[in-house]
Amino acid sequence: MKTVLLFVLASGFCASAGARDWSTDAAASKLGFSGTYQNEKFEGQFKKFDAVISFDAADLSKAKFDVTVDVASVNTANEERDGSLKDKEFFDFAKFPKAHFVTSAFRKAADGSIEADGTLTVRDKSKPVTLKVKFSEAGDKATLDADTKLNRLDFDVGSGDWKDTSIIGADVLVHAHLSLTAKAG
Amino acid sequence: MPIRNTDHAWGSINKAFHWILALLIIGMGFLGWYMTWLPNAPGKIKIYALHKSIGLTILALVLLRILWRQFDRRPSELPMPHWQAVAARGVHIALYGVMLLMPLSGWLFNSAGNFPLQWFGLFHVPSLTDGENPALKAIAGITHLILFWVLLVAFVLHAGGALKHHFIDRDSTLRRMLPWGTRAEKSSPPPAMTATHSTPNSSSPTEVKS
Repeated sequence: MKTVLLFVLASGFCASAGARDWSTDAAASKLGFSGTYQNEKFEGQFKKFDAVISFDAADLSKAKFDVTVDVASVNTANEERDGSLKDKEFFDFAKFPKAHFVTSAFRKAADGSIEADGTLTVRDKSKPVTLKVKFSEAGDKATLDADTKLNRLDFDVGSGDWKDTSIIGADVLVHAHLSLTAKAG
Repeated sequence: MPIRNTDHAWGSINKAFHWILALLIIGMGFLGWYMTWLPNAPGKIKIYALHKSIGLTILALVLLRILWRQFDRRPSELPMPHWQAVAARGVHIALYGVMLLMPLSGWLFNSAGNFPLQWFGLFHVPSLTDGENPALKAIAGITHLILFWVLLVAFVLHAGGALKHHFIDRDSTLRRMLPWGTRAEKSSPPPAMTATHSTPNSSSPTEVKS
């Protein structure tokens, strides 16, 4: 009886403690994106970001991603373009140094894949965003791949004349690849 | 007007190369300076794209022109002092060098800066580098600028020489390169003919506007 009670308590405790928490190996992780510039694809990434990841495929109700991005760490391998991104027409590093994404709910799509609904805040614009999530776990290690498509105009990235999508396309594909290690406990 | 050059006149193909390139190059000189002063905006990027497209056009035309030179004779030179012939030859070499290197250095600068490249938006032109290369970009950028000044000096000497022949020497150097008709050839004064025959064609430098 005592054992059963302990077991129930223990499992209840685990559940309330939530999914497994993971720490991110920054060197092996990447927050990348691609867009079009003069109708040609270009790639970029944010080199500095913090990802707080709680995830257990067995219990999606407790999963949570909370990602803070240092927008000044953006790099698109083009000096002039990166210079423009700091300006007030784009990210406005001085005024809005961080972008933030936090999930609100995870669900299994009809095809079995996992989707995460959340809110992305860039500059002072917050919009609902859904990620396609692929989580591969092996013991204490895991990889997390998340993809979504954003419209830069939803977040005022490229305002004024820069709304012109013939130069910079509206669609931005975001791909995050995180290399994770389970936190002890 | 003959299509090919004759012994005394420039053919229409050579004249077309000369004047189309002249117009494009002069236009690019102004456009190149103007665009760098524009504020950072989509309009600036469009003007840069135009500059790049015209530059690639010039490169293609110059390569075709050099190819055509191999198959076309050159009119014999008009009489002039030896130093002028040497100077003209030097200026021609400089002009051809700049016409080739200016677009190439621009293309390299664009590649090393990791900018896209298209010909009037119609097709993609490949990069000369494997992505961004800041050191190469700096070298290509400075080269592009220095070549501009070389071009300016060569252009002034070339056009100044042509005007000097026309207004001071009153020979047909400029007239025979003018785009219209063959009148220049027909009205070539006899002394030019005589002197041409007295000049060894093979060894002397050319003073022809090409």
